Amino acid sequence: MAEEFLVAQDLYKSFNEHKAVNGVSFTIYKGEIFGLLGPNGAGKTTTIRMLTTVLEPDRGHVTVGGHSIRDNADAVRSLIGVCPQELALYEDLSAIDNMVFFGRMVGLDGREARAQAMAHLELMGLVERAMGKVGKFSGGMKRRINLAIALMGHPELLFLDEPTVGIDPQSRNNIYETIEGLRDRGMTILYTTHYMEEADRLCDRIAIIDGGQIIAMDTPYQLKSRIGPLEQVTLEDVFLKLTGRRLRD
Amino acid sequence: MKQLKHIWFIAMKDLKLFAADRMALSFAILYPFLFVVLFNFLLAGIGGEDERLELHLVTQEAEGGLSHQIIEALQTKDESQLKPGEPRIVWTKDYDEARQAVEDKELGGFLAFPADFTEGVLMGYGAQLEVIAHADAFNTRAALNGLARAIASRVGAQRVANHAIIGLLIEQGLIGQAIQQLFLGQEAIIAEEAFIGFEIEKVGKVEAENPANFVIPGYLVMFTFFTAGLSAVTIVRERQNHTLERLLAGSVRRESILGGIFTGTVAKGLIQIAIFWTAGILIFGIDLGLSPAAVIILSILMVLMSSAFGIMLATLVKTPRSASSIAVLASLVLAPLGGCWWPLFITPEWMQFIAKITPHGWANTGFNKLMVFGADFSAAVPEMLALVGFAVVFGLIAIWRFRTSAV
Repeated sequence: MAEEFLVAQDLYKSFNEHKAVNGVSFTIYKGEIFGLLGPNGAGKTTTIRMLTTVLEPDRGHVTVGGHSIRDNADAVRSLIGVCPQELALYEDLSAIDNMVFFGRMVGLDGREARAQAMAHLELMGLVERAMGKVGKFSGGMKRRINLAIALMGHPELLFLDEPTVGIDPQSRNNIYETIEGLRDRGMTILYTTHYMEEADRLCDRIAIIDGGQIIAMDTPYQLKSRIGPLEQVTLEDVFLKLTGRRLRD
Repeated sequence: MKQLKHIWFIAMKDLKLFAADRMALSFAILYPFLFVVLFNFLLAGIGGEDERLELHLVTQEAEGGLSHQIIEALQTKDESQLKPGEPRIVWTKDYDEARQAVEDKELGGFLAFPADFTEGVLMGYGAQLEVIAHADAFNTRAALNGLARAIASRVGAQRVANHAIIGLLIEQGLIGQAIQQLFLGQEAIIAEEAFIGFEIEKVGKVEAENPANFVIPGYLVMFTFFTAGLSAVTIVRERQNHTLERLLAGSVRRESILGGIFTGTVAKGLIQIAIFWTAGILIFGIDLGLSPAAVIILSILMVLMSSAFGIMLATLVKTPRSASSIAVLASLVLAPLGGCWWPLFITPEWMQFIAKITPHGWANTGFNKLMVFGADFSAAVPEMLALVGFAVVFGLIAIWRFRTSAV
């Protein structure tokens, strides 16, 4: 039996009268890549913000590595790394300065922060641009830096919120390979994306969320086999069948 | 300890960003100096600079008349011999040209002797001096009136004395009626000896006030507040691009983020005031007064208050654009109201009263007390307390908003 690393139980979060998350429960096992898929406004980002201790749930309980996010948020934060959907970078600083800054903020000393920064930049193929101002980087390079920052401090659980949105195939491929490499090294990952082939390639299990509730959760293989023969069905078919074809805001 | 480290790293990061942002540096340091240089020049007259007054005299008499002798005696021949405060007296030859110059505001005014001045004085029916001055030229008009009165009184006194002597001689039979006419004809010669002196009494020493003593504090107050206000834009932008959220998810507490941002903003302000005061002393020769420590403390309190305002603003607005609009608007409204553009002590009482509702007004009053009016530390304590009050109010609002919804 795999070790449970993140357990979310019955999470609720409302903004004014709108129920953004409405009773979400799931478990992520150590070393797996768990996909959280859903249309726009389904509740993915709100769920991630609660799991990363940024937002407090109205109800429900979450433990990460055995620590409750309510009672021991600091311990939870020391275990996680977050790559937000937005490019959460300082564009006027160099790549290395960005990485060292966030490294220091997760508790690394100066030397260690610099060493990890260089190692992660190398992993992302950006070591030659270490001293370059991030503001002058291409979209793909910024995305890679965004991910590299999340790796500072070697977190045990990584939250990747649409890390490949809007980038070229080369950068996307680099990010895929990086994520696969991280999984091979035993890192646990929660992954959200709108690209179904990406989820199919990377995720061990997938939860589909809509209207603030999880409407399906299984391996990509099992999800696809629910609606037809594997050779004819894609994950996108599953997604559209479960969430409908109605356009979302 | 960990939280203090976080505060330090965030503050250092903000300073690095500040140093990398040329526009921000210009707003914080270069622009204020351009304003200081400009207004230092424009406000140079305020505070009693000792400019020499120029008085023009004109006569409409023909050459040889008494007025020619008076003007000749009065006019300034060597300006280097004039004492401080003494006017320069200029003989202007053409009455019509002088009048036109006054109308054109090229000349403040002049004193004119009439064409029958000598005849009027000698024949005893008097003469009318004419002072022609522009309505705006208060000082020149007053000086010319004084000069005209002095001339009239000296000529009159001389005439009375001459008549008394002649009358006495006639009464005692020492001279006859025929000779009386001769004496009257010689009156000009008698008058010439004792003729007219013009004396200026100068009470005390007029010392020119260095305008930088109120221009630099004024612009320091304005731009410290402006820079801190604009830091709200950076904070809102950080909130929008989720760097603050990233920090929060990375084991940094809200208090540390707030403390770091505040420390960074304060550090920028301190750099600003250090540059301001250093340049003020070295370049503009400002005088920090009897209590430089009070000036420094007042400056630091101004920075703290402005930083608290900047963070409060960041927590109250949603977009960088609204943050920048409000920061600019607040700075441009509060600066003149609070006496940053002109010294409060030259404004009407109602403006000085309005200034009290602005932190700028308190800060500028404190600086003026210390640097212009020579007050000591204790005199500026009310202004210091007022700035602390503003800082506490702004800070409490910022903390309340930051804890609830600002990130």
